[in-house]
Amino acid sequence: MSKPRRVPSSGLTILAISWLLIIAVIGLLAPWLPLPFAPGVPDLLHVAEPPNWQAVPRHWLGTDPMGRDVLTEVVYSAQQVVILSLPAALLSALVGALAGGSAGFWGNRGWRLPLGAWLLGLALLWWLAALPGGTRMAGLLCAMALLAWWAAPRWPWVGRANWPLPLDSLFQAALTLLGAVPRLVLIITLAAGPPLSTAQLLLLLVAVAWPEPARQVRAHMLQVRELPFVEAAWAAGLPASRVWLRHALPHACRPLQTLVPLNLAGLIGLESTLAFLGVGRPPDVSSWGRLLGMLHQEPGAWWLLASAGSGLLLTLLALQRLARVATTA
Amino acid sequence: MKLFWVSLLLAISSSACSLSTKQQQHTGIRIRWVRDPENLSPLVQPNQNALDALSLLHCSLLQVNFLTGTYSPALADSLPTVHLVGDSLTELRYELRRAAAWDNGRPVLASDVAFSLKLYQCPGLPNEKVRAQLSFIRDIRLDATNPRRFTLVCQGQAPEYSYEAGDFPILPEAALDAAHTLRSCSLAKLAKLSVLSPRDSALRMLVYRYQHADPSHHPERLPGCGAYRLETWEIDHFLTFKRKPHWWADTLRPTPFMLQARPRKIQFLIIPDEVTATLALRRHELDVLPQLSARGFQRLQADDAQRHELAFYSTPSYELVIAGFNTRQPILRDSLTRQALARLFDPAQLQQATQLGQGLRTVGLVHPRDRQYYNDSLQLLSYAPKQALALLQQAGWQQLPTGWVRAAAQRPAQQLKLMVRYRADDASFATIALQFKAAAGKLGIPVELVPTESSSLTNALREGNFDIYVRKLSGNPFAFNFTTLLHSRTIPESNFPKFSTRTTDQLMDAIAATGNTAHKRQLLRRFQLLIQQQAPLVPLFFLPYRLTTTQGIQHLYPSGFKPGYYPAAATWAPTASTKAAR
Amino acid sequence: MRRWLLLQIGRAGLAAWAIASLVFILSRVLATGAEDVILGENSDLQARTLTVSPASQLLARQALRQRLGFTEPVFYVTRSSRDSASWHWHGTHNQYHHWLAGLLHGQLGWSYRDGQPIGPRLRAALGYTLPLTGLAAVITALGAVALGLVLASGPQAETPTGWRAGLQLLLTTLQGIPVFALALGLLFIFANPNALNLLPAYALGDNPANLEPGAYALQLIMPVLTLVLAILPEFTLPLATALHHELRTGYATTARAKGLSTSALLSKHALPNALLPLLTSFAGLLPTLLAGAVLVETVFALPGVGRLLAEAAAAHDYPVVVAGVLFTAIVRLLCLALADILYALADPRIRLAS
Repeated sequence: MSKPRRVPSSGLTILAISWLLIIAVIGLLAPWLPLPFAPGVPDLLHVAEPPNWQAVPRHWLGTDPMGRDVLTEVVYSAQQVVILSLPAALLSALVGALAGGSAGFWGNRGWRLPLGAWLLGLALLWWLAALPGGTRMAGLLCAMALLAWWAAPRWPWVGRANWPLPLDSLFQAALTLLGAVPRLVLIITLAAGPPLSTAQLLLLLVAVAWPEPARQVRAHMLQVRELPFVEAAWAAGLPASRVWLRHALPHACRPLQTLVPLNLAGLIGLESTLAFLGVGRPPDVSSWGRLLGMLHQEPGAWWLLASAGSGLLLTLLALQRLARVATTA
Repeated sequence: MKLFWVSLLLAISSSACSLSTKQQQHTGIRIRWVRDPENLSPLVQPNQNALDALSLLHCSLLQVNFLTGTYSPALADSLPTVHLVGDSLTELRYELRRAAAWDNGRPVLASDVAFSLKLYQCPGLPNEKVRAQLSFIRDIRLDATNPRRFTLVCQGQAPEYSYEAGDFPILPEAALDAAHTLRSCSLAKLAKLSVLSPRDSALRMLVYRYQHADPSHHPERLPGCGAYRLETWEIDHFLTFKRKPHWWADTLRPTPFMLQARPRKIQFLIIPDEVTATLALRRHELDVLPQLSARGFQRLQADDAQRHELAFYSTPSYELVIAGFNTRQPILRDSLTRQALARLFDPAQLQQATQLGQGLRTVGLVHPRDRQYYNDSLQLLSYAPKQALALLQQAGWQQLPTGWVRAAAQRPAQQLKLMVRYRADDASFATIALQFKAAAGKLGIPVELVPTESSSLTNALREGNFDIYVRKLSGNPFAFNFTTLLHSRTIPESNFPKFSTRTTDQLMDAIAATGNTAHKRQLLRRFQLLIQQQAPLVPLFFLPYRLTTTQGIQHLYPSGFKPGYYPAAATWAPTASTKAAR
Repeated sequence: MRRWLLLQIGRAGLAAWAIASLVFILSRVLATGAEDVILGENSDLQARTLTVSPASQLLARQALRQRLGFTEPVFYVTRSSRDSASWHWHGTHNQYHHWLAGLLHGQLGWSYRDGQPIGPRLRAALGYTLPLTGLAAVITALGAVALGLVLASGPQAETPTGWRAGLQLLLTTLQGIPVFALALGLLFIFANPNALNLLPAYALGDNPANLEPGAYALQLIMPVLTLVLAILPEFTLPLATALHHELRTGYATTARAKGLSTSALLSKHALPNALLPLLTSFAGLLPTLLAGAVLVETVFALPGVGRLLAEAAAAHDYPVVVAGVLFTAIVRLLCLALADILYALADPRIRLAS
């Protein structure tokens, strides 16, 4: 059976938790911290200078190729991590787990929808696509859906008219749609449009990053749903949703342990690639990815790599540690 | 096992050593390009690299002389004689050189020039861009007595037509029209045809023959009379040009400057990344590295301080960085506000930070090196926040706790907040925008920075969806014609500030038309003064062209004309070849 | 079994066509910048642009739109923008139909920039990308398995200790460094006259067919190494975690009780079980590498598929973008289908269930 529980080595875990807390606190309190320089203000006399602790004004971590103080940028980037990158990584893992878990569990024939639900879906599609007939047709279909829902328990032939929703095929189609267009081409094309607000960018990042966790969870779910304990749950008569949510899904989410730090690294790497290609957010938004991206303009700027790189590295290690603790506890 | 790894390492290092010191035979030079020319047909000319390649493959009537900085005759015997006809036409009389000949020995005649012009204007071919550029040439008249003499008739009387009408590659009639079917069709009639109008069979056959020949990727099928021919072209990788062993201009004595072709082989290597290119130059895998960034240039100089293997050149070019205002916006409609905002830019420090002090500051759109026309009595614009504050108040703005507000009659009060657009992939524009934002922030003016992709930027500028923009303007060393920038008739196509006043319109038309130097000087000085007062554009500084070559390459003539160097006259110095052969 | 196989491949083909069609329609419907890119900007003071009057510029733009086929409707049916509920039928004279007909005849279209057929250009670019990504894929797969085994074979603590901890730290660091930084770093180490001056800085300007194998191999070392270093952590770390988990299961305890050594346990029993869920991501190795190769190809001046796609997207050369997307979609879908097939073959429980 299972091994006796081991108490996780508390030293490293405490370090991990405290680092993430520090990042969160710094990120949220950034505007009120006593920093010597304001964010996004270039110091044109000291462009791309290494850390110099003798000169006044003192750039503790040096300046980037645009003249901004690296310490200020790193602190404000923590804000971006807390607001954007971390929620994007976590949210994409969540969305991916739900999508992949359901596609893997129910496959193409598991989830049967009644006639009313199908009619409602058709109504929605009609209205969105503005097909001929427009709102009237959509309204008519809604009325038919309500009728079907009312009639289902009364008339058996309506009650039997249910068809399965091909979740797996839809999942594969969505996955391939997002996976086939290379991320970079997608982002480059989207960058040509109007500038994105933080919320829109968050949605975009989640949309780009959810396929990978989804695929892993689905692959794992295909194995997990055949395991004996799931069979036992079915045999016990539990409803399908409960078997899925309480029994199969937690086990199928095991690959996510390593995936969330990877996702975060990937998102930040995407940002730095965009900075390398010259696409992306306005220069007054700081991020570690952008700082790393500036290495391209000034390859000898070790202070950029050291500051942004170590911030990123410590965050990744902390997430890895916490994930390991969470799944083995 | 260990022996295997050691021997593999030895093999790699020995072959690597042989690669790194292997040099070209000193008859060729290797030049770096950032992107592929894409299309080598003379009818398309998509980018500067294609133009450089075409200048090696073809000859024009007149070409830019890097030594003197003017247009000099290449295929033409001498500069054209100009006759003004009435008040709307210009006639240019040319005579071709007697020695000019195609590769098969046949001479270059006026009929070839006529054929080339008709090809550029023929509808149905992919020549839209060049057709628009050469549409001012209305007609060509051949001289019945002398097959090398002809007259070009141009619409309009601008003084620059005398050399712009000679700057197109001359193509052989025998390549695509051996039966002379086009001789019956006049250029004037051809220019009026559009893509949709019915064409006669001669034109249709011409289009078919052109498409069949496909000179975009096989320039040898539409061969030119230039000194080089294309030997290899690997798309996105490299191009090799080889000198023709017998070229018609070899017989000319003395050899005109533009008809020199000394390197036996010119290779253009396409390396998109600058860091890779600098390393390649230091490893002697490359000979010429043009258009370096300021930091790359400085880094190379620092790396080479001990070894002295490289030569460095920095010449001021005609590319100007400007910031422009949208004069149709209500908040920017008056010149006082624009002058105030112009004083929030800090050109001196920006030049120091982005160009490391190289380049030239200027008071207007005229290059400071044009001493005759540059208005040196005007003050250089500099960072003056106190003056900006005073000007804003003078313009009627009041600073309230909510921001800067100006009361307007019968309309809601105006709020001073700005949106700055610039090209996303250029770091120096971002620095300029950031500096402006910081300076405006000190005065309490909110600024939004919007880096935009280049074609969306053009669209947004045309639509007027901006307050301020920062971009780079390519200047013209030969003519003063600012109508595309600031004349009311070019709104919104190219006049992005949408600036139009009668005085400046008249001034620009007069400048473009006059040939009298003293009059032009007076007009230009007045124009620069007006533009500084009205401030639709803020000229920041002229950029330098930075060039690095291996020590030993001579006669590359680094200059401010595109592309910044002249490869056809380059030679290797004798001491360098003996040093390298070791 | 064969029917299921055909179904998978058929589904992959259909999905690829749908994606390419979507990208095609989107690229034509959204504001097109192709004409501006081809005609060039006209607001400079250069000699060439001074002679262009606004009228002739307009004519040029119209002629270009006609030549590139933008004047035709995009799809068989379009919705008029004025009254949103009316749709118009256009028959077969639309851009989509021409593209689809060409595709069915094996033609991928013509590029806007040079008017050349796209197929040969894509094939030439593949000649550079396939050796690079193929080699990187093989090395990464083998390396990930080897390093995963190494990381999991230590004493069974919560965290690896000793040099294994260092290795894990190194892999995490590699994950955090962006790809181009790795590429530049390798350049500065191996192609720098100040440091080791061993390898060529870029793909030397010679026909690959003419290069001696030695020179060709040398110019591939750094790009392949960059890709491997960039992608290795992504595959090693999940594998190590999965192996750790497998070592704590019941059958592992039984095997150890039987006297099996840890290494034999790992390679014979734990590895196949751990590898199975990761089969999908290993099958996605090649498509991931194709995407990641953009940066490597840009830095090392290799004219491969990634660089072709990125430059075409930047220049609004939509036919090349659509062809590239179609190609990438097909590769990705085939890899996914392959992964599913292998998965079903390897795990009988899945085969029986589906």
